[in-house]
Amino acid sequence: MAVILTRDLYKTYNPDTIPVHALNGVSLSIEEGEFTAIVGPSGSGKTTLLNILGGLDSPTSGYVEVGGTDISQLSENELIDFRKNHIGFVFQSYNLIPVLTAYENVEFVMLLQGRPEKERKERTEALLAAVGLADHMDRRPSQLSGGQQQRVAVARALAPRPSFILADEPTANLDSHTSANLLDIMGKLNHEEKVTFIFSTHDSRVIERAHRVVTVEDGVIISDEGMKR
Amino acid sequence: MGLLIKIAWRNIWRSRTRSLVVLGAISLGIWALIFLLSFSRGMVYNLIDNSIRREIGHLQLEHPDFQKQRDFRFYLEDADSLGTLMFRDPHVLAVSERVVALGMVSSAKGARGVRIWGIDPDRESGVSFIAEKVVEGDFLAPARNPILMSRRLADKLGLKMRSKAVLTFQDLEGNITAGAFRITGLFDSGTTPFDEGTVMVRREDILRLTGGDGQDIAQQIVAIIDDPDSVGVVRDHLAPLFPNASLKSYAEVAPEVALYESQIGLMNMIVITIFMLALIFGIINTMLMAVLERVRELGMLMAIGMNRRRVFLMVMLETLFLGVTAMPVGIGLVIVTLRIFEQTGIDLSIFSEGMREFGMSEVVYPDPIPSIYIQVAVAVFLTAFLGAIYPAWKAIRLKPVEALTKI
Repeated sequence: MAVILTRDLYKTYNPDTIPVHALNGVSLSIEEGEFTAIVGPSGSGKTTLLNILGGLDSPTSGYVEVGGTDISQLSENELIDFRKNHIGFVFQSYNLIPVLTAYENVEFVMLLQGRPEKERKERTEALLAAVGLADHMDRRPSQLSGGQQQRVAVARALAPRPSFILADEPTANLDSHTSANLLDIMGKLNHEEKVTFIFSTHDSRVIERAHRVVTVEDGVIISDEGMKR
Repeated sequence: MGLLIKIAWRNIWRSRTRSLVVLGAISLGIWALIFLLSFSRGMVYNLIDNSIRREIGHLQLEHPDFQKQRDFRFYLEDADSLGTLMFRDPHVLAVSERVVALGMVSSAKGARGVRIWGIDPDRESGVSFIAEKVVEGDFLAPARNPILMSRRLADKLGLKMRSKAVLTFQDLEGNITAGAFRITGLFDSGTTPFDEGTVMVRREDILRLTGGDGQDIAQQIVAIIDDPDSVGVVRDHLAPLFPNASLKSYAEVAPEVALYESQIGLMNMIVITIFMLALIFGIINTMLMAVLERVRELGMLMAIGMNRRRVFLMVMLETLFLGVTAMPVGIGLVIVTLRIFEQTGIDLSIFSEGMREFGMSEVVYPDPIPSIYIQVAVAVFLTAFLGAIYPAWKAIRLKPVEALTKI
C-alpha cells in the first residue's frame, strides 16, 4: 500500500520575477515500510521534494497524496494538524526544544495530540529505551551529544505513530561512528516495527543502508533503484 | 495549557541576563510609578490639609454678602448659637466663631495691610493649627489687648515680643477706628502669604473697638468635621439649618484646593499612561528579539504539529510571565519604601522658601491610594498583554518551511 503518492509535481519559486524551477514533474510512490533515500547534488530539488512530501511546502502544480489524503488541498492549519498526526520529522540540526528534557521532547507531540498520560509515559520510555537513551531522559538537549540529540529527535518523530518519517540529512552533523549507530537504530525500527523512513542525504553511509535510492537532478527523478531488501 | 505554561516559563529564563534586566526594568518602573504617585498625592494633600487646618476649615458659615464684599458690616448675629447648632451635628468635631476685619497694622517702622481675626483662642485651637505653630509667647492668653502675629510680619515691622502694634480698621458704623495691642505671641505657620497677611486678637477686644461690645456677632464660623470625604453630605445636611447664611465646603471656599484634589486622578492617569507607553515599547522590543532569535525553533514547532493558536499563546504567556513576575517585586519594593517614608516623611527643607509660598510643609509624607496597587497591577498586565500581541503575531506569520532554513 502506497504511503505517499505524487503525480507530476512541479514547484517553481519566484514565478513572477526570476523563476526557479525546483521540481519538474516528479511522480513517486513510496510503500509502507520502505527505507528510502532521496539523493542528489545541492540544488537538485530533493529538499523541495521532501518539504512537499512533509506538507511543509505546497507544489505549484501536481498531486500529493499522503496516507490517502490529497494534502495539496489542505489549508495551513489543516496541514499543521495533518503533520502532527501523520508525519514524523528528523532534522539535520536536531531541532529539539532546548528548554525541555529528552523525555519531554519525546512526549511533546503526544501532548499536542491529547494522548492520555499513561500512554504517553509508556511510549516515551519505550522509545527512549529503543534509541538507547533510557538513562538520559532527564537531560536537556544542551546536556546531550549531537548523536544523542539526534536519537532523541528520532524518538520524538516516532512518538505520535506517524505514517512515515522524513529525515533531512540526519547524519550530516554526526561523526561516522555516531552516524552508524543512528542508522542501526533506524534500520532496526524499520525492520522490526515496519516504520517507513524517507531520507534526503548526500551521505554514502546512508545511501548504502537504504533499500531504495531515488536520485533527483534538476528537479526530475533520473534514477530510482528499487527495493533492495 | 500546562505544556505551554511550562515551555513559556522556561523560555523566559533561557536568556537569563536579558530577562533579569527586563524584570528589573519593569519592577523599577512599578516602584517609581507608585512612589511618584504617592509622593504627588502626599504633596497635594499636604497643601489641602494645610489650607484647611490653617484657615479655611472643612465648612464655613458666613453672611451671604460678606463672601462677596468682605465688608465688616456683613456679620452673622447670634454667632455662638449658630456655632452651637453646627456643633450639635455628630460629624462636627470643632467650631470657631471669627470676627474678620480688613485693616492695617502699624509700628514705628512701618505699616502693612492685614486681615484681622478676632477669635476665642480655645475654640480656634480646635479648628486651626495656629496654636501649635506659636514659636514664642502664647496663643492669646488673657491680657490687655493681646495680639498674635507671625514672626515674619513682626520682623518686617521691626516688632518683637511685648512690642506695641496699632491696628486700624472699620467699625460697625463704617467709620475708621484704631486700637493699640501688645504682642504676646509669635507664630510661624509655614505659609508666607498667611504669615505676612494675618494677625489675631481676642474676639471681645475687637468687638469692643468696633462698637459691638457685648454683641454676639461673627463674620465667619468655621467647622472641622470627622471625615473630610463626606464634607458635601454634612454641608447638605446642615445648610437648611441656616437659611439666612451661606454654608460652604472648603472646596467651594477655595476652588484652587478642590482643583488640586481633582487633578490627582487626572495626574495618575497621565503618569500611568506614560509608564504604559514606555513599558509597552520595552516589552515589544524584548519579545520581538526573543521571537526573532527563535525563528527556526518556532518553525520546527509548527512543523511537528504545534498549531498557530498555541504558538501565539506561548509567546503571550512568556510576556505575561515577565510582567507578572516583575509585578510583586516592584510592588513589594514600593510597599517597603513607602512604609519607611510614611513614618519619616521626605524632608524637602532645601526647597522651603518655595514651599512656604505655596503653603506646604517642608516634610512631605507619601500618601498612596490603596487602589493604586491594583491600578498599577492591571496596567502592567494590560501592557504586557498588548505588548505581546505584535511579537506573537510575528511568530505565527512564520512559514515553517522558511523558518527552518533560517540560521
